[in-house]
Parts: sequence; structure tokens; C-alpha cells
Amino acid sequence: MSGAAERAVARASADGRRSRWGSLLGSGLYGRLDAALAVSPTRRFALLAAVPVLWVLIAHVGPIVQMLHVSFLDAYPPSVGQVPAYTFENWTSFFGERIFIMPFLRTLVFATTLTFATLVITYPVAYFLARHVKRENQMLLLLLLLIPFWVGEIVRTFAIMILLGNTGAVNLLLSWAGLVERPIPFMYTRFSLGIGIVYLTSLYMLLPLYSALEKLPSSYAEAAADLGAGAWTRFRRVTLPLTREGIASGCTLVFLISTGYYATPVLLGGPSTTVFAETVAGFFHVAGDQWPVGAAFSCIMLMTTLALAGIFIRLMGRGGTGLLK
Amino acid sequence: MTRWTRVTMSVIFWAFVVYLFVPLVLMILMGFKDSKFIGFPIRSWTLEWYVDVFRDTEVLGVFLYSAAIALASTAISLVIGTWCAVLIGPRRFVGRAALFALVCLPAVIPGIISAIALRIYARLLEIEPGMLAIVLGHAVHNVPFVALVVLARLATLPASHVEAARDLGADEIVAFFRVTVPYLRPALIGASVFCMLLSFDDFIRSFFLGGYQPTLPVLIFAKLRSGMSPEINAISTVVLVLTAVLGLWAERSSRRLARTKPSGAA
Repeated sequence: MSGAAERAVARASADGRRSRWGSLLGSGLYGRLDAALAVSPTRRFALLAAVPVLWVLIAHVGPIVQMLHVSFLDAYPPSVGQVPAYTFENWTSFFGERIFIMPFLRTLVFATTLTFATLVITYPVAYFLARHVKRENQMLLLLLLLIPFWVGEIVRTFAIMILLGNTGAVNLLLSWAGLVERPIPFMYTRFSLGIGIVYLTSLYMLLPLYSALEKLPSSYAEAAADLGAGAWTRFRRVTLPLTREGIASGCTLVFLISTGYYATPVLLGGPSTTVFAETVAGFFHVAGDQWPVGAAFSCIMLMTTLALAGIFIRLMGRGGTGLLK
Repeated sequence: MTRWTRVTMSVIFWAFVVYLFVPLVLMILMGFKDSKFIGFPIRSWTLEWYVDVFRDTEVLGVFLYSAAIALASTAISLVIGTWCAVLIGPRRFVGRAALFALVCLPAVIPGIISAIALRIYARLLEIEPGMLAIVLGHAVHNVPFVALVVLARLATLPASHVEAARDLGADEIVAFFRVTVPYLRPALIGASVFCMLLSFDDFIRSFFLGGYQPTLPVLIFAKLRSGMSPEINAISTVVLVLTAVLGLWAERSSRRLARTKPSGAA
């Protein structure tokens, strides 16, 4: 038992009441365990680090490594008594097939466009919230914006289906206003999918933008104004560059998240909007024995999206670990 | 800032609020429509769909199944995420940045890829599709969020608090449970509710890792694919109300706790 523990016990006993923690420190078993396990600082650190390191390797890295491994196998899950052979075919089958490459490119173009659209839509919203609303009201309004985002992907997708359907609210309004005679078929198009994805992801853009704008002292813009800069110049030369960190993280998040949606494109999109997530999922649901191809395609998508996100962050001029001091 | 831009901005802001809320309000309204057909106009109203949902034991079972998954996966990610944050936050060691990046990894992998990777991995570990697979899948996905929230709170804990506890005779473990954990409480409450909502709302991982028993989002998805019916509106509305209440409660309590000064919290 350590000297410190003895002192603690002594103090607890002197008080006349041995606390739960005092008795823990005083118990012989705890002392022996402590002495056996944590003899040196290195040992203590190793004990503390073991769980996170093992978890990260097994649970975070493991699935990705195994997916990469399976992508080079000729059959998976293995049938009984068969040793899978290694092959590059799963990877090469991607190139040269229009039905694979088209959804892939479509997903990238879509995600990029929607990320930009989300940025343009949410920047004024975040700006208004951070710069024009009184501080005590900011939290309240932010909370108001948060509520829809606690509702899941599926429920919100369903809500968009009701909004845009042929008998939906938008068409009802349009026909009431006498603008259209027949309902406009919004659903199952790029439009409905775009509206849905922006609806789902805008918070991931809004929050980083808001925190970047909120941190920005208003004196900067005032100084620029004193030096003769107009409103637009102030925005372009001061506010925008100083919030690029928020823009970078918001865009990265929205891009990565929007490439990963599966249910939303299935429900809101049509045959002309098949995204890569649907292509990949097909190898797991329709044809059960094509896991290796699905794994290879997932690897292609993962590498492309992470590479694009990485390049983007570099271009925005920030190294990765801004969250870590 | 001119008056004109100010007005434009507030118009954009409120238009955005309308964009967020109108679809959900419409969805709630449709749940009270007295017709099997979803769409406008609504001519008569009913509570029948809600009565059906509350009578339906299948829906209740699915709801409890999803809630159990949310609780179990949250418990795991809370422990692991906090552990990671406590290791990474105050210490400097070789590979710290790399470990931090790996802790955050599941948060930046697009949903479909994460689900597929976990499905393949579950096969390797011989975990059958079902509750255990979903719980572990959700836990993996939620660990980064817990770690980030706890890291942020940990950064504001004055080192003197822990040192004082050590001086008073507590060893590292006792100091952790009696000083650090109480200080982290608002972060832990916030993170656990956030994890529960993420798990409860998750579709893609539950869809790929699940067996025959669906979770609530998977059930709604299946029902939507076979045709819209006001019953789905009623289920979705119940989910919406529950998640909103839980989220608001968590936001309120973690904010109130976070406002207490370090001296009060420790």
C-alpha cells in the first residue's frame, strides 16, 4: 500500500466515518492489486493506453483492413472446403463498365454540387445567427435549428417525400396559385434528391460556420470599414478568409456524409439518379456471393472521398489535427 | 452593414427555419388524415392511426428492440470514448496525433462504406447479423463523438483540481472517479443522449448488420418501400416527439451543468 493511501485511510478514520473510497484505498486487496499492476509510470501508462489502443486497432482499423483483404479474394464468404485465391479482378471490373463508373462519377459530382449549395444556403443563416442575433437569444435559435436534426434520416426523408409528392404541399400551393394545371413531378428526380440531401446535411455545415463566425471579433470588420472598405470588400477580404477553417470543416463533413447516404437516394431518387451507394449495396443484397466486388468498390469509394477531402483541406490551408491542442 | 442586407439576412434565416420545419409539420398533419391516401387536401381528421400504432405489438417490439440497442451501444461508446479522451487529452506521448486520428476514423467514413466494412468484419468474427452486431456497430460509430465532446470538456478542467485530490491522499484512480468524472458530467450526459439518438435513428448500419428483426428506421424504410400509409406518419410522429423531448432535455441539463463554475462542479 502506498503512503498516500495510508494517509487517506488515517484521515477517513480520524473523521470517524470511513468513506466508501477510503475503505477502497485501505483494503489490502486494492493495495496489492495497485502494487502489482502499477509499479512504474511506464506500467501505469501502458495500462491506461491498452484499452483505447486495442479498441482502435480492433474496432476502427480492423473492419477497413478486412474489407481491403476481402476485396482481393475471388470468393467471400468462403464456401466449405474451399481456399479463396487472391485476384485483382474485383478491382479491375470497376473500370470499363459504364453501369459502375456512371453512378460513381454522379455521386462525386452530386456531393460536390450539394456541398457547395449547402455552403451558400447556410452561410447567411450562420452569419445572421452569429452577428445579428443578441447573444442570449443565439442559443435559443440554435436549439430551434437543432430540433429537426435529432429526427432520423428515414423520418426526414419521408417528410420530404410528403412535401414534394404529386399531391404534396408544394404542388398544392402551385395549383392553388394557378401556376400549374397538372402537378409537377418533383419526386424521383435529381431535384428531390438534392432537396432531401441538403435537408439532411445542412446542420453539419451550419455548426462549424456558426462557431467560426461567432469567434470572429466584430472589431475586425469595423477596422476594415475605417480603412474605407465597403460591405462587400469587408466580407470578401476579412470575414470570408477568417472563417475558412469553419468552411473547410463544414464542407468536408457534408461531402463525406452526403456520399454515404443509401436510403435517401433509394426513396427520393429514380433510375436516372442511381448513386454509388446503391451500386455497392447491390452486391450485398441482390447477389449474396459478390461481397469481394462490393468490398473493392467500397475501397475505391473510400479512397477517393478521403483523398478529395484531404486535398480540399490542404487547399484551404490547414493541417488535419486542429481539434488537438 | 446596411439595413438592406440586414433585412435580407433575416429573411434568409427565417426561410431556412421554414424549410427545416414545414416538411416535419406536414408529416405530422398527415398522420391525422382520415384516409389511406397520403396527400393533400385533407378533408377529415382521425386518431385512428395512432390507436393502431399503439395497439400494434409488432411496432412496440421493434421500438423496444431499437431502444435496447441504443442503450447498450451508448454504454459501450461512453466508456471507450471517455477512456480515449482521458488518455489523449492531458498527456503528450509518441503517436498521440495518430491515435487521435484513428479514434476519429469512424466519424469520417461515409455511412454505406462503414456499414459494409462492419458487415464483412462481423462475418470474420463470426458474429451473426442481429442485435449484438448492431450494438457493436453503433458503438464503433459513436466512440469518436463521445471522445470529442469529453476532450473539449477535459481541456477546461484546471490541473490544480486533480493535484489537490492527489495531495489529499487520493491515488490516480480515486482522483479520476471523484474529481474528473463529476467535472465531466455535463459532457457525459450530452454525449450519451447524442449517442442514443444516433443509434436510435441509424438506418444504414442497422440495415446491413441486422437479422430478421428490424429496428425502427429499418421498419419505416421497409414500409415506405411497400407504399406510403398514414400509419407510417403516426409511427414517425411518435419517434419525432420522443427524440425532440430527449434532445431538448439533454441540451438543457448539460448546458445548465456546464454553466456551473469549475469550483462548484468539483
